[in-house]
Amino acid sequence: MYDLTRRHFVKLTGGLAAAGLASSFVANPARAAEGKKRVVVVGGGYGGVIAAKYLRKVDPNIVVTLIEKEKLYYSCPLSNPIIVGLRDLKVQRWGYDNLAKHGINFIQDEVLEIDVAKRTVSTAKNASFSYDKLVVAPGVEFKWDAIEGYSEKVSEKIPHGWKAGPQTLLLQEQLSAMKDGDPYIIVAPPNPYRCPPGPYERAGLVAWYLKKNKPRSKVIILDPKDKFAKQGLFINGWKELGFNIEWVSGNDGGKVTRVDANNMSVHTEMQEYKSSAINLIPPQKAGKIAQISGLADKTGWCPVNQKTFESTIHKDVYVIGDACTVTGEIPKSGFAANSEAKIAAAAIHASFNGQGEPDPSYVNTCYSLLSPDYGISVAAVWAYRNNAITKVSGGVSPEKASAVFRKQEAMYAESWYQSIMAEMFS
Amino acid sequence: MRKRMLVLAAVVVGGLWGGAAVAGPTSGMLSNTCDGCHGPGGVSPGPYMPSIAGMPYNFLKQMMTEFMKDERPSTIMSRIAKGYSDGEIDEIAKHFAGLKWGVNNGASVKGKSVDPDKAEKGKSLARECEKCHEDGGKKQDEDTPRMAGQWLDYLQLKLGEYKNDEKYPQPKKMKTQIDKLSVEDLEAVAHYFAGQK
Ligand SMILES: Cc1cc2nc3c(=O)[nH]c(=O)nc-3n(C[C@H](O)[C@H](O)[C@H](O)COP(=O)(O)OP(=O)(O)OC[C@H]3O[C@@H](n4cnc5c(N)ncnc54)[C@H](O)[C@@H]3O)c2cc1C
Repeated sequence: MYDLTRRHFVKLTGGLAAAGLASSFVANPARAAEGKKRVVVVGGGYGGVIAAKYLRKVDPNIVVTLIEKEKLYYSCPLSNPIIVGLRDLKVQRWGYDNLAKHGINFIQDEVLEIDVAKRTVSTAKNASFSYDKLVVAPGVEFKWDAIEGYSEKVSEKIPHGWKAGPQTLLLQEQLSAMKDGDPYIIVAPPNPYRCPPGPYERAGLVAWYLKKNKPRSKVIILDPKDKFAKQGLFINGWKELGFNIEWVSGNDGGKVTRVDANNMSVHTEMQEYKSSAINLIPPQKAGKIAQISGLADKTGWCPVNQKTFESTIHKDVYVIGDACTVTGEIPKSGFAANSEAKIAAAAIHASFNGQGEPDPSYVNTCYSLLSPDYGISVAAVWAYRNNAITKVSGGVSPEKASAVFRKQEAMYAESWYQSIMAEMFS
Repeated sequence: MRKRMLVLAAVVVGGLWGGAAVAGPTSGMLSNTCDGCHGPGGVSPGPYMPSIAGMPYNFLKQMMTEFMKDERPSTIMSRIAKGYSDGEIDEIAKHFAGLKWGVNNGASVKGKSVDPDKAEKGKSLARECEKCHEDGGKKQDEDTPRMAGQWLDYLQLKLGEYKNDEKYPQPKKMKTQIDKLSVEDLEAVAHYFAGQK
């Protein structure tokens, strides 16, 4: 495995290696800081950025280097409204410039390898960074081979839209181009996956759009699962709002086994579904770097100490966000990643100072929109008790609520987004 | 003043994850998750989300306790507040009371802006309010929240609730004053307080 990736990485960087090496040596702040503790963070999303910021906040002496492969970050939360024309991709796009203000060394590069024995990571631009502790927050990777006929290439024709950006715009184009009367097909993924209510938020918003623009069309959700997050609220809401949505559960034959991109169709064991507008959200696992560095187990996700988020496979490596396995039914959400990052930062700080593991407090709040004026939420608080993550309180929005209440939740969704983005990028 | 200084000092000494008197998560650990919605350091960039940094300790504690006991209507706060013990709520209130009030900035979607005419009208209407919310809403004592520079959208939303919802918990004096004002008056009052920095 080591050799393979090594060779791969040499091939990738090729002739640029020499130039890259020279500049990387100078640009490697982790090396310059003699005697100081160095933490490298891989991935600048909901988890990684907050971990980097909190490490600096708790101890400005820690040398924090954040390595992110993209120049800009596109937020998935609130990206579904873009598909139906309620939002512009611009307000989902964030830059990393302000991190320097917080004393974080931001490096735009892709980590290709983690060497846990040497405590170094190496990157596509052929730089290498040493660490005392490493935080890995790469988000998810798709299991491209899980459904026959699907691939990364096919996703340009049958998009997933599960990482915000060009895929989101592709979904938008296809929705507006589809014929009135055709179905809009959403293929939901099996558990566990990023953002459990996400496919159903999308279904509602698309149905809201269809109701206005293509009233003869309906949304069909093909699902391998028999239940989903906030199910009662979604189904009641869809009914209340007069949406035309058909949900085909796993038991009813909703599991898609094959895709035919030429024919624009998806196949379950029982039936073929055809449309010019198909959104297929593939099964998922922890981001690639977690897989190739051996941080993931056979589930595809990274097992961690539930109190600190330190990997149970590699010491001094902390995995947070979508990539890790969390118990207590904490979902794979941006808010959860944010909360986990703060816990991991506290644990790293304590470990550097020879203190015991701090007592964590975990929180998640997730809003979903059914229409621009109709929001629902799930919120919970967890504590670490009797060696396990234990839910202390929480739940979903009430089944029966006024229109004002639903509208307020939609308004709070937007304000939540502003706050959590400011926490990351201001 | 003296008391406030002491609270501040305690927070500084305790540091980000320090300060807890009891076993369990520290006050910083408990409070930093609040920032995910209420903004960095409790200063909110989202127009419907109130800033809570520097609010009076008693006020914060009372709000959280009322949410916890379902005595104050909310969307998600009652679900969240139930996740904490009385002692933990105390820590959270202390934490935010010890922070500095800040004016929100950096939001990519701005809230409604203050209309100077409405604010002017609100100024005279707010005379009664200022018996408690003194100094343009800047003064805060133990139970009175700061109003000056809070988000306009949030103030409008809440004043509307105070006016329209009979069951909304509020001091008697507050209810009397609110009842005297029309919806338009309250709108103007919100513009006035939001415009005070
Ligand atoms: C449609 C949709 C709606 C959603 N709505 C909500 C919501 O309302 N609320 C909510 O809380 N959550 C929501 N989520 C979930 C949320 O997006 C994720 O849970 C969150 O992004 C997870 O954060 P993370 O840090 O683990 O991963 P990410 O945010 O994906 O960040 C990972 C980062 O790591 C980088 N990276 C990966 N590998 C490398 C490498 N080798 N080297 C360098 N960089 C690397 C990536 O480029 C990326 O920037 C939604 C998701 C979707 C798809």
